Amino acid sequence: MSDEQEFEPRIIYFLCSWCGSGGGETAAAHHLHYPENVRPSRVNCTGALPAVHIIRPLIEGADGVVISGCYPGDCHYNDGNFRARRRVALVKSILDTLGLEPERVWFRYVAHGEGQRFVDTATEFNDHIKKLGPNPLKTRSDT
Amino acid sequence: MNDKGAILPAENGVEAAVVGWLKEALNKKVFDALLMPVQVPAGDSFAYLLLQNPALLENGSPLPPVMPVQGARAISRLTMRGNGSKRIAAVVRPCEARAAIELTKLEQAHLDNLWLITVDCPGVLPLSDYLDDPAAGAARFVEASQHWDRAPMRPVCQICHRFSMPASDLHVGTLGSADGAVFVIPGSPKGERVLESMDMPVDAALDDWAAQVKEMEEAQTERRQQAHADLRAGIAGPDGLLDVFSDCINCHNCQRVCPVCYCRQCYFESAALKLPPENYLTRSKRKGALRFPPDTLLFHIGRASHMILSCVSCGACEDACPMSIPVAQVFSLLADRAQETFGYVAGKSLDDPLPLVAYEMDEFHQVEQPYVEIYHKREVQDA
Repeated sequence: MSDEQEFEPRIIYFLCSWCGSGGGETAAAHHLHYPENVRPSRVNCTGALPAVHIIRPLIEGADGVVISGCYPGDCHYNDGNFRARRRVALVKSILDTLGLEPERVWFRYVAHGEGQRFVDTATEFNDHIKKLGPNPLKTRSDT
Repeated sequence: MNDKGAILPAENGVEAAVVGWLKEALNKKVFDALLMPVQVPAGDSFAYLLLQNPALLENGSPLPPVMPVQGARAISRLTMRGNGSKRIAAVVRPCEARAAIELTKLEQAHLDNLWLITVDCPGVLPLSDYLDDPAAGAARFVEASQHWDRAPMRPVCQICHRFSMPASDLHVGTLGSADGAVFVIPGSPKGERVLESMDMPVDAALDDWAAQVKEMEEAQTERRQQAHADLRAGIAGPDGLLDVFSDCINCHNCQRVCPVCYCRQCYFESAALKLPPENYLTRSKRKGALRFPPDTLLFHIGRASHMILSCVSCGACEDACPMSIPVAQVFSLLADRAQETFGYVAGKSLDDPLPLVAYEMDEFHQVEQPYVEIYHKREVQDA
């Protein structure tokens, strides 16, 4: 895995069911491609995504977690994305303090119609994680 | 905070003065009941008692040498279902008062009919040190607290910088007072009314107390930052972190004694983490091996994500850890940094909203990943 070309990261992409997933649908309608190792996972709202569900994949084998919800002001539940932003800030603070690479977590708004932005985010994050290398925690058996 | 306080004579020491004062308050019906640490009959520990008979105050101790139960847990159990009809005075340490304030915001305690009374705190001994020889421990505690020597205290007490007045209703200031007297400082209109009804004039200047508190706070803050920097250098990164937490025996004592871990069903003990064997086999295959019981690191980091914004660095978790993992030190580091991120200080005030309850529209743009132009790389490859 030392060669950057050989390393295929495992990436979890949390998408809210209103905007993020919609971005994925739009991308599909336009036949846009994104890396196959990015695994989308739908949550009802990014504001309903517990911090534990961001941390758990990072311990259990993911190399990165990316989260996309509605733009500010567009949340189906009014304020879920603002709450998610605070929670991501909390997770990043914990990861930073413990030296666990907060840059393995990304948070970026994707609207329902933004298929291109969804695909770009998945692709860009994949390349970003490839540069970072494998997540050291995923090979630790003593977690 | 008031800039004037009342004077309480204390010829026989702070403990006796505070106990005498509370006894008087109880006799005068200023309070109907007291919640305070009292030495257990066996003499080797302290427990919170809800006292109504003033005669039982003899063994009361406003500053016991150990913290076997976090006072906020006692307050929460007492007032979880609402304000009582009687007036209760709770004598707790500053960190316990701050945890009680957090629990009130989390709707796990009600403080409308409860007076938080705190004393300038010299720290407490590690529970295990004290239990080895309670008599010697008590003597060591008295000796050290007279000189504000924190060396024998618990590691988190050694680096405590919020040892003085929290948002309590009444605070007993022992620093900077003349010999044979202490200050009683009202911190709220509720507290002022108590002093009024006990005919204690609030007219003593607090400049000496405030100056000494400030000086000690500054010294302690410096010590804390240094200790946290040293700690972080040791634990940062997967290797250091797992070196510390792989001693964990999954007893979850740290969660059970934590004053702000109040959930009826803890996620880490729930069915969500009790999975079919296939799940563990898959994970074990992926990692090569899987430690059992699993999710130890997830428990600690996940618990941190649940409670550090309300963590008051009281050290109850570390006292309860049978493996001597420096849980409280790690969590105090996490808490300080996370609370700083949100501009929040746990237990500082009932009015500051909990960071994960409130939000602003225009904030934390640093966590939003910027998207400046269309990312072409993949399309070029595909084409």
